[in-house]
Amino acid sequence: MDYVVLLKQVPDLAEELEIDSAGTGLDREWMSYVASEWDEYALEEALQLREANGGTVTCLALGVATGDVDEVLATCLARGADRVVKVGSFDESPDSHAAAAAFAEALEPIPHDLILTGVQAIDDLDGQVGPLLAARRGMPHLSVVTHIAVSGDGRSVTAHQEYAGGVVGEFEVDLPAVLGVQSSREAPRYAPVSRVRQLLKTATIETVDVAGGGPRSGLVVESMSVPETGAAAEMIAGNAQAIAERIAELLAERGITGGAAR
Amino acid sequence: MLGRDVTRELFEGISHEGEVLFYVLVALATAIFLVGVGVRLSKYARGRRQDVIGSPVSFAQRAAKSTIDTALNRTVAKRDRYAGVFHAAIMWGFIVLFIGTAILTIESDIVRPLAPQFSFYWGAFYIVYSLILDLLGLAMLVGIAAMAIRRARRPRQLDYTRVDIAPATTDRGGFRTGDWLFLGWLAVLGVTGFVLEGTRILANDYPWFEVFSPVGWVIAGTFGAIGLSPESAEPIRYAMWWGHAVIALVFVAYFPFSKAIHTLADPVNLALRSPLAGRRLPVLQSAGPEPADGHIGIRDLSDLSWKALIDVDSCTKCGRCHVACPAVASGAPLSPRDLILDIRQESDAAWAILAPLSEHRSDHAYGGDGNGTAQADGPGRSDGERLLAGGLISADTLWSCTTCLACVEACPVGIEHVPTIVGMRRSLVDQGIVSPGLQTAFTSLAKQGNSFGQSGRARAKWTDDLPTPIVDARKQDVDWLWFVGDFASFDVRVQEATRLVARVFQSAGMDFGILYEGERSAGNDVRRAGEEGLYELLAEHNVGQLSRARFRRIVTTDPHTLNTLKFEYPDFGGDYEVWHYSQVLAALLESGDLVRRRAIDRRVTYHDPCYLARYSQVTAAPRDVLAAIGADLREMPRNGANTFCCGAGGGRIWQDDSALAERPSEQRIREAAALPGVTDFVTACPKDLTMYTAAVKATGHDEQLVVSDLIELVAAAVDLQFEVPPDDGQGSAEDAATAGVAPG
Repeated sequence: MDYVVLLKQVPDLAEELEIDSAGTGLDREWMSYVASEWDEYALEEALQLREANGGTVTCLALGVATGDVDEVLATCLARGADRVVKVGSFDESPDSHAAAAAFAEALEPIPHDLILTGVQAIDDLDGQVGPLLAARRGMPHLSVVTHIAVSGDGRSVTAHQEYAGGVVGEFEVDLPAVLGVQSSREAPRYAPVSRVRQLLKTATIETVDVAGGGPRSGLVVESMSVPETGAAAEMIAGNAQAIAERIAELLAERGITGGAAR
Repeated sequence: MLGRDVTRELFEGISHEGEVLFYVLVALATAIFLVGVGVRLSKYARGRRQDVIGSPVSFAQRAAKSTIDTALNRTVAKRDRYAGVFHAAIMWGFIVLFIGTAILTIESDIVRPLAPQFSFYWGAFYIVYSLILDLLGLAMLVGIAAMAIRRARRPRQLDYTRVDIAPATTDRGGFRTGDWLFLGWLAVLGVTGFVLEGTRILANDYPWFEVFSPVGWVIAGTFGAIGLSPESAEPIRYAMWWGHAVIALVFVAYFPFSKAIHTLADPVNLALRSPLAGRRLPVLQSAGPEPADGHIGIRDLSDLSWKALIDVDSCTKCGRCHVACPAVASGAPLSPRDLILDIRQESDAAWAILAPLSEHRSDHAYGGDGNGTAQADGPGRSDGERLLAGGLISADTLWSCTTCLACVEACPVGIEHVPTIVGMRRSLVDQGIVSPGLQTAFTSLAKQGNSFGQSGRARAKWTDDLPTPIVDARKQDVDWLWFVGDFASFDVRVQEATRLVARVFQSAGMDFGILYEGERSAGNDVRRAGEEGLYELLAEHNVGQLSRARFRRIVTTDPHTLNTLKFEYPDFGGDYEVWHYSQVLAALLESGDLVRRRAIDRRVTYHDPCYLARYSQVTAAPRDVLAAIGADLREMPRNGANTFCCGAGGGRIWQDDSALAERPSEQRIREAAALPGVTDFVTACPKDLTMYTAAVKATGHDEQLVVSDLIELVAAAVDLQFEVPPDDGQGSAEDAATAGVAPG
């Protein structure tokens, strides 16, 4: 069974995000990047499935100039991926259509039974790479899945979708297929820094060129802004001491702590 | 005049055949002894190469000092005079009796057959020899009796109950049998020797000079008094001669397989112990040739260094590490004693070394059928070996260590537990066995350079409220480079103290600067949590930043940072003079750059941070500061190098401690609260400040004790003007302590 995982980097929210002078994107000067959380779930699922059923795990990421794709891919290897591939070369993170086209082309020579990717990413909330890729390659696709299991004959997988009200749907999907992963059965494993550093020096990160082109999403960001503070909200300012006192005061005012104490 | 008749016959009443039999037995016992010692040596030869010698000159100095320590039993007597005195009695009794026997051998087997004219075992020599051996033999027996009484009382350190395994699955009776066998055998050896001597004196009808064998003389007299005649004493003497000989020779044969081996291993181990043990952890490359599968750290027995293997054989189960350890005290599943003994037994079992009288475990942990804790054999594993890190020594056990170094400090035989524990942690990290708390901290440290998950750019935000800005040491030359550290920079409670440090330094006219966002965590705790790659990343970054700044020396408030900057950064290209702020404050108060305006008229106790008192051996400076500002210092029972850990070190602060029976920090607060009239609990470590601020509330002592940093008392004593924005509180101890008290 050959598993393929698609990953991307997103801005690290530990840093304060600032909007650039044009007002249509993030200021990249101070930005740092981390692997997208859902993509890490997808990788963890792939590794777990490989441990249970055997096979290989190949990780693909687009060669984007911002951030550090090599580090993401070396981290995949440190976690146990068998092979990593950097796809194409982009100045900045392309939209979902271009990304799906690039992945579809890159996948041509790579054996793949099950393609896993994060269901979405925080920087576009688009969730389209999986479906677009599936459409391009003529495969079935299922999004927001958990609990992936390979069938006995290895020709299909089952996966869960969780609905509101605690209802779970189980799907059987014929392989090859694309799944958008919502979470993994275990937290993504730790990649020791010494392994990552060693791999960055010694490992082979394959690169494939892609033609690109094809239709784009056609969406343009007109403007980007930080949500304005609503009039109804009180922003508590000051140091930790002052903030804590104000919160205690508010809770007391509303009888929340008073009731609990008695 | 003392003639040649002042002596005794050496093989008195033993026939020629008997003499031959005796020498055959000697040869046999010696052969078994040598084989046993050889097997032990072959065990150490399996260890990984590790340079513990260093420069020959400094090693010779250390070895000489260790030999004196051993001779004087200094390490045994430390904090236990009783054990020290009586152990010395046994040790010197045994050594002198052994030398006495060796002298006899020289006389009877070399001098007499080869050069009888040089025979010396008579006259004055005989009298002095007899007296010395008698007295030292008596001292040995007294020592054995005293130690047996101590052992029979079962003090806490000699209780072998495990902290990590249910009593039902393990039987350590073998340990106790071995202890008593060793002690008892020595006692029987001594007693038979004296009875032999007494019956000999009686059988020879009290030769006058034998009064210089006073113990034998008294025994002879006693036997005479109860009616034994010289003639009837002779068969008893004959039986005793053989009895004593056989018991001694069995002891020689049993020696390398018993507790007695410590008499050979421990002086060597003490001489080999490193003054930097735990302080400077080995870099990865120095661990010898890389294993075929590229694994890191101590994963298997074969990853242990030869020093670590001598360590495990040196252990006498004295239990001093066990009772000093904060993990044991707080109910965590780690005992440094058991960890060492587990590795000893596992290595003996795996390498088929005969080690009778050990622990029997029904969970198949040792040498048994190999299905117990064994995990799948990875690639490159030698046959039959099972996982050490995360296997025999469980991950929970390894993560329980605070690296406080109390075990290494307490160990009388030079065992270095902490480097071995960290080595196994490196393997856990390498295997990806990392708790969620650690993973979060590591990830944040890798990305942002701090464990608080905050932007690295926010590192110097604590300076925003300062009335006078601090120099940026990256742009301007300074005398002192202040390496602030993670907790002092980001923890809100500690920030108050950090700002006071800045203002006290400023008011003393110190020329100092900080690296602002150029600084990252120094990595001391990261390294001790076993994430060596991340530590390298941090150290390389900081050395890079420091190499671009121009300064004369470094000061830090954080003892953990102090340790790694001082002892470990030299391995990464940064060799600095590093001071703790308590030392700087003491110097400033001494020189008059800081002037006490009012006395701190309070009764305080001072908690020695482990990384300051044990690692850097700084105990006087903070006390000098307290004396200079007029505080009335009352010591806790455990102080100085014998301090008790707060539980935060070695990466413990990032891990869940809710499973502990009672946190070490809370036990420490109780220790302080028992001191009459003490109102202030003073520390000199950012982590201590957060740990004890929480502990004093958790134990309900916040009415009685105020936890404060040394700087807070100094700031009050030098009457620092509080012209800070009014909203900021004053960073005073009172404010902080009352902050958490809810109204009502």
